[in-house]
Amino acid sequence: MQTEKHIAAAFDRDLEAIQAMIMKMGGLVEAAVLDAAQALDTRDEELAERVRAADRAVDALEEQINAEAARLIALRAPTATDLRTALTVMKIAGSLERCGDYAKNLAKRSSVLIQMSAIGDTAGGIRRMAKAVELQLKDALDAYIQRDVELAEEVRRRDRDVDQMYNSLFRVFLTHMLEDPRNITACMHLHFIAKNIERMGDHATGIAEQVIYLVNGAMPEEPRVKGDTTSVTLLDGSQ
Amino acid sequence: MNDMRIVERDVDTNENKITARGVQVFYGQNHALKDVDVDILDKTVTAFIGPSGCGKSTFLRCLNRMNDTIDGCSVQGSIKIDSEDIYDPKVDPVQLRAKVGMVFQKPNPFPKSIYDNVAYGPKIHGLTRSKAELDEVVETSLRRAALWNEAKDRLSSPGTGLSGGQQQRLCIARAIATSPEVLLMDEPCSALDPIATAQIEELIDELRSQFSVVIVTHSMQQAARVSQRTAFFHLGNLVEYGETGKMFTNPSDPRTESYITGRIG
Amino acid sequence: MTGLSASSAAGARKGSLLAQDALTVQRNASETRFKLYGIIAITLSMLALIWLLYSIFSVGTPAFRQTFLTMPIELPADKLDKSGTRDLAVMSKVTTVGYAAVIQAALEKAITEKGIPTEGMTAKDIAGIISLEAPAQLRNYVLANPELVGQTIDFEVLANGRVDGFFKGRVSMESAKLDSNIKPEQLILSEKLVDAGIMAQRFNWGFITAPDASDQRPEAAGLGVAIIGSFYMMLIVLVLSLPIGVAASIYLEEFAPKNRWTDLIEVNIANLAAVPSIVFGILGLAVFINFAGLPQSAPIVGGLVLTLMTLPRIIIPARAALKSVPPSIRDAALGVGASKLQSVFHHVLPLAAPGILTGMIIGLAQALGETAPLLLIGMVAFVRDYPSAPMQGFFDPASALPVQVFNWTVRGDPGFVERASGAIIVLLVFLLIMNAVAIILRRRFERRW
Repeated sequence: MQTEKHIAAAFDRDLEAIQAMIMKMGGLVEAAVLDAAQALDTRDEELAERVRAADRAVDALEEQINAEAARLIALRAPTATDLRTALTVMKIAGSLERCGDYAKNLAKRSSVLIQMSAIGDTAGGIRRMAKAVELQLKDALDAYIQRDVELAEEVRRRDRDVDQMYNSLFRVFLTHMLEDPRNITACMHLHFIAKNIERMGDHATGIAEQVIYLVNGAMPEEPRVKGDTTSVTLLDGSQ
Repeated sequence: MNDMRIVERDVDTNENKITARGVQVFYGQNHALKDVDVDILDKTVTAFIGPSGCGKSTFLRCLNRMNDTIDGCSVQGSIKIDSEDIYDPKVDPVQLRAKVGMVFQKPNPFPKSIYDNVAYGPKIHGLTRSKAELDEVVETSLRRAALWNEAKDRLSSPGTGLSGGQQQRLCIARAIATSPEVLLMDEPCSALDPIATAQIEELIDELRSQFSVVIVTHSMQQAARVSQRTAFFHLGNLVEYGETGKMFTNPSDPRTESYITGRIG
Repeated sequence: MTGLSASSAAGARKGSLLAQDALTVQRNASETRFKLYGIIAITLSMLALIWLLYSIFSVGTPAFRQTFLTMPIELPADKLDKSGTRDLAVMSKVTTVGYAAVIQAALEKAITEKGIPTEGMTAKDIAGIISLEAPAQLRNYVLANPELVGQTIDFEVLANGRVDGFFKGRVSMESAKLDSNIKPEQLILSEKLVDAGIMAQRFNWGFITAPDASDQRPEAAGLGVAIIGSFYMMLIVLVLSLPIGVAASIYLEEFAPKNRWTDLIEVNIANLAAVPSIVFGILGLAVFINFAGLPQSAPIVGGLVLTLMTLPRIIIPARAALKSVPPSIRDAALGVGASKLQSVFHHVLPLAAPGILTGMIIGLAQALGETAPLLLIGMVAFVRDYPSAPMQGFFDPASALPVQVFNWTVRGDPGFVERASGAIIVLLVFLLIMNAVAIILRRRFERRW
């Protein structure tokens, strides 16, 4: 971990600036996720609207980060850790932008779901999952700023928990849909929401893997822990 | 400097320091520089890049009329510094060169002491009135050139006894001792090792808050690192001139792109 | 190349590095031969140099020793000062003949006092062992110190050249029999005088300080006038050629436009350096003596002629020294805002100084040894009086060291041969000193760079 400064102070300033932008973006996305889940749970239409509007800032930041990273690579020709910093920043920005889109999607679907009646405690379940994912994102970004490989590994492992939550939510939705066909619309929306949140968790894991690549110079050796069994779940709830 | 500095890299708040219009340079019959129009901004580092023989050093030397010392060289067109035409017959090149300093490719300190090296310019231009003032000018210049700490205990030792990077910093101190408004640098780092080069580039970045700096370099990477504006010369023509970040990420002219990506030499 | 490389490459691949192939052996052999030629050449030239120095020094060093007679001389007032008032005007009327008689009387008295037998010798013979210069020496001394008239002083007079030659081995008893200027009896007398302590050899300062002497008196001849003459001329050459030469080379190198005229000038200067020096003598004769009316044989004319000769020899190395200063220094000076003149005088000239100085001293040393042009402007004349102090002294007739050497070489008396070699030694010493000064100055300036 390089603690010395570059002889060209402007190079350090540029690197710090893009990392600061990532943290800012991360903060925006985390807030968006929590707010959107809260909007669903508390049936707050205005909050959902604000979340959807706030996504524009996230997209703009991603464009800005990409432009600045490209500029940094063109002008500074970074090597070694500096190069990996620039590359990972671009990947993380992309991941965060997707997470932002999922959060916006959550908010959009929340607006629709708010019109319908609530289904059991699914909103609560979604909120808990969103909280877990938000923690994942936060920890992944903390690991990035602190270059903490252990924390990143932990984030990777925790993705299993998110997958488990998704599995159970999946079964809950199936159950509700089997019980009452009028629930199908709502459950479909809820399912998409849950899927997107699970995807966010995968992106957070991806960010953690970028941290490991940044510090170690290579992607992690062990493959991801995949806990998602929904692809092989049958309709009758067995398996 | 705030942390969003790279956002504020645009320099369109500065005025033009040097305006060149229709500049042609002939070496005898050879038309070395064709029709150059360029505006160089104040408090900015402008880089001239291009392959060998493209005319960038020639144009640089026009800016302080060093081309006058070359036999058979004729300059046409107008070059104005602060709206004054420097090729006007009333202008004395010697006086111009106190205002427009120059640093050369190979460090060339005078074979005198460090103190005398820096003091020579102010002395012959009569810029100081007493020894105390001269001492102050020498100290300020050496500080600005980041050489004071290494030199303050040996001001009377010969300038040629320093290392390459230190000698070049001494030449920079000598050039800024006359309080110029424009600093011209002709490949100042080409004779230096990478660490010394990085130190000089950092120095240039600090100097640009006081002067307008024009640097000719054969290293595109150096132009990318150090400048805010870049001008690309090719075969005597000014092909493209623009903001450095844009030039290196998305140049307008295909010739620029070919040169920068290493497709033409 | 390919055929050669194919076969030798095959061989080279097979052979080991530890065994030299034929080409290498050949190369090394020719290099060794070349080095051997060099060593032989150096050895031969060293031997030649040693032989040359030996022959000069063996003939010339005796010139620095001379035979003198020291004896009490009575200065009779009645003969030397008729008026009795020590009036110089009156005393000057007594010529050297009167003083010769005084010396003769003193010698005879000394001989009888020491009891040296002199049978078979006339008074003229006895007086003949004294130099013909001696009366003039005594007269000059007395006129300078008139109060000594009436007293008896211990005075030193030169011995005759042949007597001196006898003690130095040039003259022997046998050759004295055939010589019209000396008799063997005089030589025997001289030996006895040496035993008695009256005659002795000592270091002869007069060789360096005394003026030239006529043919009969080689023992009295000295380099005094020649040294002063050469010194004045070198002074004139230095004062004139250094500023003019350096200024000319600066102008030609830095300021003159590069066109056909300056090329012509450059060619002419190079040719002038190769012009035979006697041509400059003719020029000096025509311009300085005939046209400008300057006195013949004067250091001013010699100095001017030598200046003309030395100028190209200064301009050419000075230009080379200026050219050798790297253009980066000039660029640096101009870049900082110095004018052309300032950059030349503050920066280029100090750096070119070692080369210019060396060229100048070499030019001076060459001028010191020039003979031909000086002969033509009349410096071959016989000059007895010292030139006075500058500036007037520049216009008095004088001689020069190399001219004096020439002068003495063509005179018949063998005493002059010895003195010519002695003068060559003096000349060599001066040249050595000048070269040493050149080396020291060059070292001093080079250290600062």
